[in-house]
Amino acid sequence: MVFDGVHAVRDATFDLERGRFLTILGPSGSGKTTLLRMIAGFGRPTSGEVFINGLAVGSVPPHRRSIGMVFQKLALFPHMTAAENVAFPLRMRRFDARTIPDRVHRYLDLVKLGKLGDRRIHELSGGQQQRVAIARALVFEPDLLLLDEPLAALDRKLREEMQLEFRRIQRELDVTTINVTHDQREALVVSDEIIVMDHGRIQQKARPEATYRQPKNAFVANFIGVTNFIDGVVASVDGDLIAFERSGLAGRPGNGFRPAAGVSARGALRAEQIRIGGGRETLGDVDTVFGGTVTDAIFEGERVVYEVAVPDLGGTTLRVFDHDPVAHNQHDVGSTVALGWNVKDVLVFGD
Amino acid sequence: MRPSRTSYPLSWRLMDAVEAIAASVWPRSFSAAVPWLMLMPAAVLVGLLVLGLWDMADGSFRTLDTATFLPSDDYSLANYDRAFTEKLFFTVASRSLIGSLIVTAITLVFAFPYSYVMVRTRSAALRKFLLIALFLPFFIGQVVRAYGWLIILGSQGMVNEALGLVGVAPIRLLYNYPAVLFGLVQYMLPFAVLMLAPALTAIPEEMESAAGSLGANWVRTFIHVVLPLAKPGFIGAGLVVMTLSLTDFAIPAILGGGSQDFIANAIYDQFFRTSDQGMGATLALLLVAVGSIMVGVVFALFGAGTLAMGRSK
Repeated sequence: MVFDGVHAVRDATFDLERGRFLTILGPSGSGKTTLLRMIAGFGRPTSGEVFINGLAVGSVPPHRRSIGMVFQKLALFPHMTAAENVAFPLRMRRFDARTIPDRVHRYLDLVKLGKLGDRRIHELSGGQQQRVAIARALVFEPDLLLLDEPLAALDRKLREEMQLEFRRIQRELDVTTINVTHDQREALVVSDEIIVMDHGRIQQKARPEATYRQPKNAFVANFIGVTNFIDGVVASVDGDLIAFERSGLAGRPGNGFRPAAGVSARGALRAEQIRIGGGRETLGDVDTVFGGTVTDAIFEGERVVYEVAVPDLGGTTLRVFDHDPVAHNQHDVGSTVALGWNVKDVLVFGD
Repeated sequence: MRPSRTSYPLSWRLMDAVEAIAASVWPRSFSAAVPWLMLMPAAVLVGLLVLGLWDMADGSFRTLDTATFLPSDDYSLANYDRAFTEKLFFTVASRSLIGSLIVTAITLVFAFPYSYVMVRTRSAALRKFLLIALFLPFFIGQVVRAYGWLIILGSQGMVNEALGLVGVAPIRLLYNYPAVLFGLVQYMLPFAVLMLAPALTAIPEEMESAAGSLGANWVRTFIHVVLPLAKPGFIGAGLVVMTLSLTDFAIPAILGGGSQDFIANAIYDQFFRTSDQGMGATLALLLVAVGSIMVGVVFALFGAGTLAMGRSK
């Protein structure tokens, strides 16, 4: 799809098995919403085709496709009650009028709104409105459910509750679902599969664990989780061990990366994989140790986030999560600490 | 060091000076009275109107003394009796009422697609063109515009000339009821579009996409979603068009050529032709009453639409 000469989406070929929950994850402007709108039929791809159940639907208008969609701002009809909203697609799709009330009731029950069908939309809370929108998108048993970041506007607690609801309903009905979000946590929690998009291209398509543990490139590693990047020059490659010219730094190849010696590369290291302590003996079993100075310590409740400047890594600042379930001590800003991690947790990518 | 100009610009200094002067004229302790003070000019204007209406109400109960051509000293309901019984007034009143309803209906039908395209188009150029095309006639007064129609629609006008080229004999296009209604619709269209556009802007495009994904084609989307959500705009636009065309003077006068008088023309005749101020006042007050009743009925049936102000629920 091209807007004003800019490709919003290109090379976005993927397939999705029936009954799976796929999340398209990406920063704003990555083309994920454009991709979703093309699937829904609101925009036609400049080239390429969308297939549903093996049938090309490129020239089928949205109202003839069997797709339920939950919109970013929900787009519930304010002049109708919750039940009328849910009945709307059944009326438009000419379902047998006698079966409509029963079916509406069943789907309101499914989203736990059984008693609120007579309420007008503005009489419902944000979470209840979400539930109406889900029921409305599912009541006509579409082949495909699309979620266009409907949770983005909710507060965190409600959002996490609704993520689990989406998951529950999707499993209960076994409906094929494509969800679009920029919330990596949501992607990890709800999905069977995650597609990470950037600049209109698919960066990686994998299960949530694989996306997190084996990112295919530096963008994915950076976008999901909190990742430190340590730049350096490759000194030697020995099997699955890539050693950097900086003494003591090494990692293993990310996505089969096989650099020659002398090539510049970057090591990606998750913040939770780094251990922090007052001295090297407190770190336990690690094979890489560097000393550093704490430049910031942020108390987040269940963990403390440290920023530590490491002179032996060219002054690189590393972010470190410390969950510290035992000692409840905190390193002050300015104090000298030891950082330790294992070589297997450093993934090396090309620049 | 002096503070730099950018951190405290000249316009702020000027505002400081204005505030200081204002404070010396109107001390801070009076500030609670400021909103009332600002309301004063409008209150005076409305007050004058009420005074005028009171004066007219007084006049409407006095009959014209044909011997002296002065209003009578004693009060009677004779004018009202005439207004309700004489056939002329009934004809004029029903012509204006029916006319205003027809004009309202046609104008709303024309105004909706215009404002819909204006609001929804992705092309900024088209939007600007539609706005300019809408406003240009606004700058030309009603009378001038009506004369323009005389030139175009007259028996030697452009339309009849063009018809003559294809061998059609001249048709009388002017000085009849349809000509007046046509002129009124053309005059009212911008008002209706301007009242409808905000109501359509308030409908998120996502609503229409949602209706589409739920299985509604554009006709059903229009009927079940756009139309109900645009109702406030239709009510606001309808009321404005209806009251303005019910009380219009210039277009019935010019395009009707004296044969298609509306109530306002009849009032004018009473005041300035027959000099029967009492009768004129009676008709004017009845017009105010009829207009108010029509607005009241619409409010009662459909709510006040975009004319409803204050905080919404």
